[in-house]
Amino acid sequence: MFLILIKLAWRNILRNKRRTIIASIAISIGLAALIFGDAFMIGMMENLIKTATDSFIGDAQIHRQGFRDTQEVSMTIQEIDKVGANLAKEANVQYFTRRTFASGMIASSANRSAINLVGVQPSTEKFLSQIDDAITEGVFFEKTNEHDIVIGSKLAEILEVELGDKVVVTVVQAGSGDYFEDWFRVSGIYYFADTAMNSGMAFVRLKKAQQMLAIGNNVHEIAIKFTSTEYGQNKQVPFWETYSQHGNEALSWTEILPQLPKVFAMSEYSKYIMGIVLFGVVIFGIINTLFMSLYERMFEYGVLRAVGTRSFGMARIILFEAGALAIVSIVIGVILGFVLTAVFANVGLDYTGNEMMGVTVQEFIFPVLTIEQFIIYPVAVFVFTIIAGLYPAWHVAKMSPVDAMRRSF
Amino acid sequence: MEQNQNTDVIVTESVTKVYDADGIPVNALNGIDLTIQSGEFTAIVGPSGSGKTTFLNIISGLDAPTEGKVWLSGKVLSEMGGNELSDFRRDNIGFIFQAYNLIPVLTVEENVEYIMLLAGVPKSERHDRVVAMLESVGLKDVEDRLPTQLSGGQQQRVAIARAMVSEPTIILADEPTANLDSKTGSDLLEMMSRLNTETGMTFIFSTHDPMVMESAKRLITLRDGQIDTDETK
Repeated sequence: MFLILIKLAWRNILRNKRRTIIASIAISIGLAALIFGDAFMIGMMENLIKTATDSFIGDAQIHRQGFRDTQEVSMTIQEIDKVGANLAKEANVQYFTRRTFASGMIASSANRSAINLVGVQPSTEKFLSQIDDAITEGVFFEKTNEHDIVIGSKLAEILEVELGDKVVVTVVQAGSGDYFEDWFRVSGIYYFADTAMNSGMAFVRLKKAQQMLAIGNNVHEIAIKFTSTEYGQNKQVPFWETYSQHGNEALSWTEILPQLPKVFAMSEYSKYIMGIVLFGVVIFGIINTLFMSLYERMFEYGVLRAVGTRSFGMARIILFEAGALAIVSIVIGVILGFVLTAVFANVGLDYTGNEMMGVTVQEFIFPVLTIEQFIIYPVAVFVFTIIAGLYPAWHVAKMSPVDAMRRSF
Repeated sequence: MEQNQNTDVIVTESVTKVYDADGIPVNALNGIDLTIQSGEFTAIVGPSGSGKTTFLNIISGLDAPTEGKVWLSGKVLSEMGGNELSDFRRDNIGFIFQAYNLIPVLTVEENVEYIMLLAGVPKSERHDRVVAMLESVGLKDVEDRLPTQLSGGQQQRVAIARAMVSEPTIILADEPTANLDSKTGSDLLEMMSRLNTETGMTFIFSTHDPMVMESAKRLITLRDGQIDTDETK
């Protein structure tokens, strides 16, 4: 019996090919859009995490507790030598670099601007940030001149300076609170899509910064890159506790940029909402298609009822038709979704320069195909299509044979 | 009502049917009392709107009377639930419709075996019965064809085979020859008459066709929802 109902459903679906194709394409586009949307979302998240962690933040950072809130110059990392030595022995730490931070003023002969002066170790900094890659003019501390300074292109524009031009930087020293002023020559200019980095930061050598700030060999931040990104997101590993002692705190990128994971979670919800809206539209399309086909064949359904098909059997015919429609649509949708996503997974989508969730996209977004997309969404489409078939199925099931045969005329 | 359980296939008692036509009550049947016995070859005739089709629908359990009772093979149809009534129709009534009404996406064999599938008849038996039934209605080697690949007469033969294959108690035929030319119609009538004699199944026709009226052994004329004449030849 089951087989004949499947045959009946399948052949009915193929009876009006044009309508089946149109309905299937509508469902397929919905499915393909979901697959692509999911792949894009994963690609975007990976891109943003990479941008956030690779461009400057790293997978984790160590600071003196309270430094991130106050930006006090005197709040340097406690027992820096011991922390550095221990980090060097950590198997999960691939690279780490030391930094100092100080608010200050930069002035050229033409103009002046407030900046965040960052002291960096050029040899290790290049593994933790992309500033060296973003250099558009000059170099990123290749010579050993302690008066070299690297600034963003926007800051150069504000100061009206070029490579080799002289600038003066003023900072407040730790302890005494005295102003300290020193001169630098612009040795490198970088471009970042992120406006804050492009116009509000200036980089000098760590030693020079420590000297200016009068903090000895102390630093404000150690940025860390782990051997795997997942390690940085796992708060269960002992790393965090080990380095959150003696007044220091070790934070993962998810804590440094808490808005990012939150927005990712929100994006997940958005995806579900988008799916529900998309399926909502598709469901009404399916109901319409099934009803059109049902009214066309009302007499046949009347005959089937008359010869002894039970109400449930009638409902099953409609549900099998919905299922057959779903299967056709899923095949088309999966192919469409795969091709569309695969193409963009190769060529990428240019969102560079756009700020998303507080992070400026630096590279093309490449959608990521996963096996789940080809299991969860097709199954969801099948289930939704069957749900959509319930109303017409119920309609047929409750219809008396005489009504069905009368309505066909 | 007094009934002979052995010979009375259909008994109706004061069957009335009132339709609601946009708020206006229309009396399709007005208190019909009738008994049809096993093996009859009966035609119900009358002008359009006389209640022929309504009467067939009610005695087959496809529709319920507004008032009155119908016994079919000794059972009161109005006392049966939906599924019970479906099963009862499947096992006891064969339908032949005016426009053949085969399922166009099923092959001839699938159309004929459908009722047996509902009844859970094993596959091998189904096939044998389909072949035998098609042969008895004069169709050979058409099992795998779709209805659209057959002529009108052939399609109606398949419809007859479908109606008879489950060996029901009665066959109800609503204008079975209406869409056929006179030669094909005559052949079919002859065939149904033969099957009636051979199998003892009760045949009830609703018709306008003089040829059917001529072949019928009993002629019941309906007028304005009532039995006008009832003649046995």
